[in-house]
Amino acid sequence: MSWADASYSLEELIFKGVKRALHASKTCIDAVDSVVLAAHDLVDGRSLSSMVTAPAAGAYLRDEIRLAEDGLVALSLAGARVAAGESELSIVAAWGRASEGDFLSQSRAAMDPFLVQPFGLTEADISAFRLSRWLGAHGPQDEARVRAAEMRLVRARQNPRAIDTSAPLLPLNAPLRVDEAPRCADIVVAALVGSRESACHISGIGHGTDATLVGDRDWLERPALRTAVEQALGEARLSLKDLDLFEIDGMTLADEALALEAIGLAEPGDGFGLYARSDRINPSGGSAAGWCYPAMGLVRFAECLLRLDAGGKRGVAVGSSPIGDQTQTAVVLEVA
Amino acid sequence: MNADPELITIPGRWDFEYRYFAGATASRFFAEIRDNRRIMGTRCAKSGRVLVPARSFSDAEYELTTDWVETGPGGVLEVFTIVGTKFSGLPDPPFVLGYVTLDGADTAILNYISGVDLTDLDVAARILMTRPRVSAVFKEAREGRITDFHFKVEQK
Repeated sequence: MSWADASYSLEELIFKGVKRALHASKTCIDAVDSVVLAAHDLVDGRSLSSMVTAPAAGAYLRDEIRLAEDGLVALSLAGARVAAGESELSIVAAWGRASEGDFLSQSRAAMDPFLVQPFGLTEADISAFRLSRWLGAHGPQDEARVRAAEMRLVRARQNPRAIDTSAPLLPLNAPLRVDEAPRCADIVVAALVGSRESACHISGIGHGTDATLVGDRDWLERPALRTAVEQALGEARLSLKDLDLFEIDGMTLADEALALEAIGLAEPGDGFGLYARSDRINPSGGSAAGWCYPAMGLVRFAECLLRLDAGGKRGVAVGSSPIGDQTQTAVVLEVA
Repeated sequence: MNADPELITIPGRWDFEYRYFAGATASRFFAEIRDNRRIMGTRCAKSGRVLVPARSFSDAEYELTTDWVETGPGGVLEVFTIVGTKFSGLPDPPFVLGYVTLDGADTAILNYISGVDLTDLDVAARILMTRPRVSAVFKEAREGRITDFHFKVEQK
């Protein structure tokens, strides 16, 4: 992660990140036979963004698929290709460079032109809507919100991969607060998925897609998120209580905390409280450690994997996509 | 080659036009607002749910909608945000946006919310959190756009 480091072009950042993943995996580009990428033109500021940047991710003369989706979807696709025997070793990479553009303007441009764009709505506003519903149902809970924000910041400060505080916080509208904001970052994240025996394996993957229009959705139940997590756990033959670690993507602290209730980990009304109490939940510091669409699902996966390597057996990473977390992906990973 | 060159940054801007096709169903939805001051939904034949804004199919049931249903003008404010930052083309902040489920509808629609004193934002937020009743207020000069109306909190 970095912020507005003009000594690197986007392609150079991608090369640096993917090269580091190859090195950490003790392998080289010659062993890789496929590449799956997640990037987005609006965020990259380049039309067909991953077409012009794919070679920097190792795609030159390789089987390559690119998605305008969250990075965890790319991981899911790479895993499916490996499981199907189409690939033996695949690079999965996702990136976004928030410092080159204006995320809130990009977000406004991505909304429905008839029903939503005239109001200037952004992804951050949808997070505020969700929180307003939760506050109406459960009361202000100021102490729990403040405590969760403090603990998230502590965890982010302890994360050696986190962006520093020179990067800006995304402006938010009420009832969201400044200490619940994501810290913007330029992010490249990469992983290698293969068929060889490994200390870490993916044991379950789930996906969920909610209604197109935000006004059709259940603000707190979030069935797409719940479906994705239940599918992944079912495939892994595990339950929530079997997991040692939860890395949950959310643009704001509110999104992260309320997701805990939606997946059944926290009781209704206790999302912020559990977030503050449990160091098994987003020990990375979540979006306070750096945030940029569409890399975050794969960041959550990488944080989960690296932390399981240091202790713990099983974890889940959850990624989400616009608009307002319409699509969700969950991946269960286990370390031998 | 200079080992420590001046780092180059160039400006960029995407500025090109689109034309978006609303389709026949949404076009009628907007015409009803413009011509008849009515906010219409369409009913899903399978679930019976009334979907607002009107659309030609239900993605949840994956079925075509059938009859048209007038909804509102009253409803319930489901969620809100108080916008505090200036953005080109929008009202001066602070202002309120919210999703409203109109009477007779099963889904919510976005619009501006008026009728709440925003002098003290905390007080305003506490009022809006109670999911107050609202009513649609239509402009005199309407263009067949979603901004032809807004919602006003009903005074108790």
